[in-house]
This record gives sequence, C-alpha cells and structure tokens, in this order.
Amino acid sequence: MTRYDLAVVGGGIMGVTAALRAAAGGMRVMVVERGGIGSEATGVNAGTLSLQIKRVALMPYALRGHKWWHQAGDAVGFHRTGGYTLAFNAREQALLEERMRLKMEAGAPITFVSPAQVHAAEPALGDRVVAASYCAEDGHADSTRSGVYLRQLLRDAAIETREHAPVVGIDAGGAGFTVRTATSNIDATNVLLACGAWTKSVAAMLDVTLPIDVRVNTVTVTEKGPMLLHSAIGHATGLLTLKQKENGTFLIGGGWQGRGSPEAGRGDVVADTMLQNLRLARFALPALAGVRAVRAWTGFEAFVPDYYPLAGALPGVPGAFVLACVRGGYTIGPCIGPLMADLILGREPELPLFDPARVVKVPANAS
Amino acid sequence: MSALLDVIVLGAGPAGAAAAVEASRRGLKVLLVDEALSAGGQVYRVATGIRASKATPERAAGDALRAALAASHVDARFGHRVWQVERNTASFAVHAVHVSGPVTLTTRALIVAGGAVERHIPIDGWDRPGVIGLAGATVLLKAQCMLPGRHVVVAGAGPLLLAVAAGIIHGGGRVAAVVDLQPRMRWLRDWRSLASRPDLLARGARWMATLLGSRTPMLHASAVRRIEGNPVVSSVVVASLDAAGRLGAGTRERTIACDSVCLGFGLQPATDITRLLGAAHAFDAARGGWHVVTDQHQATSIAGLFVCGDAAGIAGAAAAPWSGRVAAAAVDRHLGRVSVAEALSATTPLHAARDRAARFGRAMTQVAEGGDGVIAAMAPGTPVCLCEQVSRATIDAAVDAGATTMSEVKSATRCGMGPCGGRLCEDAAARLIALRTGTSRDAVGMATGRPPLRPVALDQLAGDFDYDALPIAQPVPL
Amino acid sequence: MTSTDLRITDGVERGPRVSFQCDGREVEAHEGESLAAALWAGGIRTHAGLHEDGPPYRVLFCAMGVCQQCVVQVDGARVEACRVLVRAGLDVRTRT
Repeated sequence: MTRYDLAVVGGGIMGVTAALRAAAGGMRVMVVERGGIGSEATGVNAGTLSLQIKRVALMPYALRGHKWWHQAGDAVGFHRTGGYTLAFNAREQALLEERMRLKMEAGAPITFVSPAQVHAAEPALGDRVVAASYCAEDGHADSTRSGVYLRQLLRDAAIETREHAPVVGIDAGGAGFTVRTATSNIDATNVLLACGAWTKSVAAMLDVTLPIDVRVNTVTVTEKGPMLLHSAIGHATGLLTLKQKENGTFLIGGGWQGRGSPEAGRGDVVADTMLQNLRLARFALPALAGVRAVRAWTGFEAFVPDYYPLAGALPGVPGAFVLACVRGGYTIGPCIGPLMADLILGREPELPLFDPARVVKVPANAS
Repeated sequence: MSALLDVIVLGAGPAGAAAAVEASRRGLKVLLVDEALSAGGQVYRVATGIRASKATPERAAGDALRAALAASHVDARFGHRVWQVERNTASFAVHAVHVSGPVTLTTRALIVAGGAVERHIPIDGWDRPGVIGLAGATVLLKAQCMLPGRHVVVAGAGPLLLAVAAGIIHGGGRVAAVVDLQPRMRWLRDWRSLASRPDLLARGARWMATLLGSRTPMLHASAVRRIEGNPVVSSVVVASLDAAGRLGAGTRERTIACDSVCLGFGLQPATDITRLLGAAHAFDAARGGWHVVTDQHQATSIAGLFVCGDAAGIAGAAAAPWSGRVAAAAVDRHLGRVSVAEALSATTPLHAARDRAARFGRAMTQVAEGGDGVIAAMAPGTPVCLCEQVSRATIDAAVDAGATTMSEVKSATRCGMGPCGGRLCEDAAARLIALRTGTSRDAVGMATGRPPLRPVALDQLAGDFDYDALPIAQPVPL
Repeated sequence: MTSTDLRITDGVERGPRVSFQCDGREVEAHEGESLAAALWAGGIRTHAGLHEDGPPYRVLFCAMGVCQQCVVQVDGARVEACRVLVRAGLDVRTRT
C-alpha cells in the first residue's frame, strides 16, 4: 500500500492550499474530502474579500490571501470593486472609527469617507449614512466556483484526491497514521486536519478534544436586478455584507445565524434571522424592496473561544497538525494554508502561526 | 404568530382538500393553505374570466371538492405564498406572504400535498415563444378556454398528449401532429390497471376517437429533435426512435409546420418542501422519479410530517383524496388522539381504496417513462437551465472536470440557481450527469432544498420595520 | 393574429371586456382572465425578462407559477403573469 507523506483531511481552501505547498515541497500528498472539493464553507460563503471586515491581528494574512484571489482572477469570478463600510447612527459611527483606525494601523489601506462621497459613488444607497470607510482593495469572488478551481489546481499538481469519502477513523501508531474511510485506508506519515466545522469530530478520532464551536451563517441571493451597486458594502457591526454580482444578482450575508450542525449534516435557514439580515440590506439599499429573493442557504464556520485560528501541531499527537477556525478563512485561507505546509515541511513559516496548544489541555500521560 | 394548530395542510388540490376535510371531521384544528385563490389544485383549477362553458368531469369533481370544503369547518387560507417551512422540536413553522403582509403559522403536524410538476426534456429550440408545457396547455384549455395556437404540434409522452390534442380539436384548433415517445399501443401493456377505472379509460378512448376522426397525424416512437422559429415557433423537426429507443443521427427527419408546440414528458412529484425539511427521498421512475419516502400511513421519515397525493409519488388524481384521508387519520394517531389499533381498523378500507385508485395513475406514469434516447441525442448547445442559460455542453464539461453530483454541477455551472429553483431543469440535468458519469440517479442525487420555496420580493418578506428596532446587538469580534 | 383567434367561442361565455396597458400598448382581454393568457392571446409572445442578452422570455410556458418565465412588473411589483387576474387598467411593464 502506498504510504503518503501527508494526508490532508478536508478539501476546502485551507486543505487544498496546504496540500499544494506540501506537494511543491516534495511531499507525496493525499487529500481526502467528505463531500466534493470546495463544497462546504469554501463554496457556500458569501464570497466577500474585504479587508475592512478582517480582524486586526489577521490583517497581514488577509492582505496576502487577498493577493492570491486577485491572481486567480476570472477563474473564481474575482472582482476588485472597492468597498464601503457604513454607519447609520452615532453608536455605529463610534464603532466604525475605533475599529477602522486599528485596521489601518495593521496595514489595511482603509480611509474614512464622508456620506456625500458615499452618495456620489453609490447613489442607490440610502440617505441615512452618517459615517463610512472605504477600502479600494475590497471586492468579492464567486465562491460557488471555488470547487472547480481548487480541483483543477490539485489535478495540475498531480495531487491525489478522494472525494465523497468521509473519514470514519484515524489510527495513530508506529511510524504514522492510517486514515480510514468507508471504502479505503490511507497510510500517511503526517496528517493535517483542515476540515472546518468537522475538525472537532475528526480530532476526537485522535483522542484530542478541541474547544470548537460552530456558527451557522446565512446567505441570501436575489434574482437579477437592474445594476445599482458597484462596491462591496459592509456595516459597522459586521452584520451585513451586500454586493451586486456581475450577473445582476444581489448577495446578502453578514453572519446571521441559522440552525443545524455538521454532525447532523445539514444547516437550515431560520426565517427570523434571515429576515433581519434582509431588513438590514433593504435599509442600506432601499431599491432592494422590489427585488425578489430566490435562494438562501447556510454554511458552517468553526471557531474557538478567542476567535483566533488553530494553526499548528495537534497537541499530544506527533505528526498530526490542525488548521481550522480562521475567522475570514475564505480570504485568509490561501495565505495560511501554505504557511501551515511550511511548518509540516520543517521550514520556518514566513508569518507566525497560531499554536492550538493555547486552547487544548493535554492529559498528563500523553506523549 | 398564531396559536399552535393541530395540523396545517399545504396545497388545496384533491389530496390536500380531502386531508383537510377529513382532519376537520375528526375534530382536529386544521388550516388549509394554498397560493391559489380557490381550491382544486391544478387538476381541478377553477376557470377564471369565464361565465359559462361546457361541462367537464374535471369541473364537476372540482365543484364537488369546493362544496365539500365549504361545508366543512376547515379554515382555508388562499393567496398565501409559502416560502419557508421550519421544523422545531415538536412542531413546524410555516412562513408565507399574503397581500396583508408576512404570515407565520405554527402546527404540531404538517401534511404536504404539493402535487406534481411537469417533467421536461430540453430540445433544441424549446425556449422559443410558442412552446408551452403540456400541463400548461391543459390549464389554458380548461381554466381559460383558450387554445395554445391554431395549428399545434403536441409532443412528448404521457396521458396529457391525448388530453391536450383532443382539447385543441374540440376548441376549434388543428393539431399538426401528435408526437409520442412511446410505440403505438404502449399504454395497453398494463391494460389490467387501466381497466380498474373504466370511466377514465373510456375518456381516453373518446380522446383517441376525436384524434382519429379529425385525421390527426399520430407519430409514435418519435420525438421532436428541433423546434424552429424566429423567434416564435414556426415548425418542428421530428425523428423516429430505433428499436432501442435511440434517436440516432441517421434517422429520417421530417419537418412539420405549426404555430405552437405543447411539450411535456409526464409528471414528477413536487419535492421542494420535503427537501427543505430534510425528509428521506428515493428515486423510482415508476413513481415519477425522486419522491419523498412515505409508509402505508403517508408518514415520512420526519415525525409529524405526512405527505399525500402526487407529491408522495405520482398516483393520479383519483387516488389523491384517499391518500389525503389516510394522512389525516395518521395525523390523528400521531397526535395521540386515537389508539394505533383504532386508527388501523378505521383506515384499512381507506388504504385499500387508495391502492386500488393508484393503479390507474401508476400505469399512466409508466406511459410517460423513457426518453433516454432523446436525452442522449440532445445537441450540445441546447439550453437545459433556462433561467441561467446553461447548455448541455456546459454540464458535460463540468462532469468532465470532476463534478459527479447534482449539487456539484449546480455549483460549477449555475444550473438550477435561477428563479425557478431548478424545477424545470434539474431532472434533465441529473439525467445528463448520470449518462456522462455512467452512474445511477441515486448517485447523482438531488440538489439541496433551499428557501424561499418561490421567489419573494424583499419588501414582502421584510414587511414594515424600524431600523432602530433591528436586533443589532453584538458586533463581530475585533 | 387577432386577439379573438385563440379564445374558444363554442359554448363559452366570457366575462366583461376590459383593456389594460402593457409597455404602453393597449391590450384587450376579459376581466378575470390570467394575465399570461391574456398577453398570449393578445399577441404579446415575448418580453425582455432578466436576460441582458440571450433569447427573450416567454409570457406563457407552465401557466402555473413554476417556471418564472412570465414574471413581469404589474402595478410596480414583480409577479408571475400567470397568477395575476386581468382587470381594467392594469399597468404591465416587461422591462425592468
């Protein structure tokens, strides 16, 4: 049986970009994915590539990840549109000013703009904007095309994949790991758990308890409408993302919570929260009133209590690594995935990673 | 939000209306919801804009259904566009929009009677104006007393071919040809099932007599290859299938002039609501394809969720009221109001009546089966998804690039992402995927159900609101 | 094709004649008819719909609210023409 240097569990943006770097570094890599490549969070998120909604400490990673998407270009429907973050009252204005200032200091090219400037650039936006910030780098990609693009990158790099193969167990012992799926076993010296919302249950197969919780984020898309909006729109609280795609559809997100769990295998839209999201969108862009919503869905987003990534060695299990819980992971993934592979390759990553040991208590008797 | 009901019935066609009346008769607090403005579903749809017209068996059945409903204690809510159904711990929430604003209804049990949608096989030119669904043509003839055209090709498969063609002739139009996928007399193969309903069989015979009497060309084992026009339909190109059902390149073609084409390939169960709720589904061509799995009592894999009528597998309008009554009895039992033994003894005759009536409908469903040869011969540029303009070539390319399931092809191509939600194209797209991957329809699967069930304008959904009252409490972490 | 061509006359008595506007053009119909059928019978066979390019949309295909081909603007709201009943003075617009 073939022994792989690295088995990557999870074929999303994290796992695939890590696999690509590891393979480029000479490793023999297998990517095993429970569904299709890029079909979960990577493929169902709202596609927002905004520096304004990234966390301050993650800004250097976001800037690099953003470049990767920019280079992927048309293949992923990338558009650098510029983006406005809006505040509609004094409380939101204070929040906006405090937050954006810190993000500017962290290197994001954000500026404050007046409501008049916003109105001149985006006349369709409502007239209750009291303050706004702008970032020319902001934009979006078509997340539904991620899977096709990532699958092609894996093919081009001749990396083996097993799709529609949920991992049912991982045996650690001797010189490495056996990753078991319903139909085959994969022997590998190292494993990388990059399985988003499923990371907790897969880590449990290695007897590691990760304090991961899951958000169930809602996205709504409308039918095609008249072209009204050029930029990516956000809200001071982060609870709205709004953009109009090239085809005229409006995409509305902002992390409003649906219901469900990765274990149950499905997430459901909750009407009450979805409607609050739509109200916020309609308030920001009054012309949305007559546009029909055609589809809403949810995607899972894993997080740990401090909302910082798990990116490093899996505590207590030599040869096992974890990469998950990256807030803004769609943007940041193509930066942090390769950094993670560098660590596995024994190289010094160019930017520091986020050691999972900070949130994991390793039992005293563990190696 | 209203008080918790015992049961909500979604869909006021023959199955749903019967379920609601039966539930009410049993003393349950029941609400019947439909987007239409009156009961009857598509099959018994009430004519509008018409003061008087010739009597038909459908109108008589529809009037009887509406009279029974009016005489019952059922609270019927028409004009409600249901866009989301949610499952809670021991209840369901139904979200709808109505001219008066957004409506949320909650219930302990739910009966879905969503009926059927027509199956289509995309044909080069099927997006031309003048091409009308066979089921749509039925509505036009029955509910509007209107012809689809003056000189019509009626094509596809299933019992609606005869009904529509005869309806056009009775209405004073001409049928340029009936183009039937099935060989001549295919429908006689299951004559025993057909003989179970002599009235319906006699009706079919009368339609046939109309066509013969008008010397309408009947082309069997044939299919439309191309629909031509600029842009409105002016002719079709028809070819015959070989013994294996293939539509090869070498087959003889003939051109038939017409001003309209009525096209359809049978009915498939409406699965939108049950998909949304995550109930178990199965694929069975004999039941019209993908359908929600139900047991003898019309119960699904989800506690409290029952499905009756064609939505549970095509069985026809005759069986629908019986399955509706079975579902109502099952709800009674689910709510703990009658014992299992009592419920069983009371419903066994209903089961038998339902199963007897379903034989005719199932035989008719089989008459609409087939079409793999037409799928295989589909020209690469043929639009499969009309909303998003996705061609066969695009779907094939996505499969070649590694997509193997309906969901993956949907993501890769946008097939099914438009306003119709894939209701027109998903079956054909899945057939193309199965053909190219060499796998089964089970392996290709269905796209995940998503709300809204129908497109709804944001102002209708959002209703009136005050910005300052929006629950914008916790900003995202800095 | 004249508007009377597709309406079956034999044994049918229709509601009162009314007229409405579609993109500024006057269409004759009977009160209570489905708007999609009335447009179809009135000789309006296509509309621009939502495609910027590509084939035109049809005013009539499924006739039961499924296909979304007949969605037009009626008195300001986007609705399926097959679900709207004609009444005098409707303002129908097919271009967004």
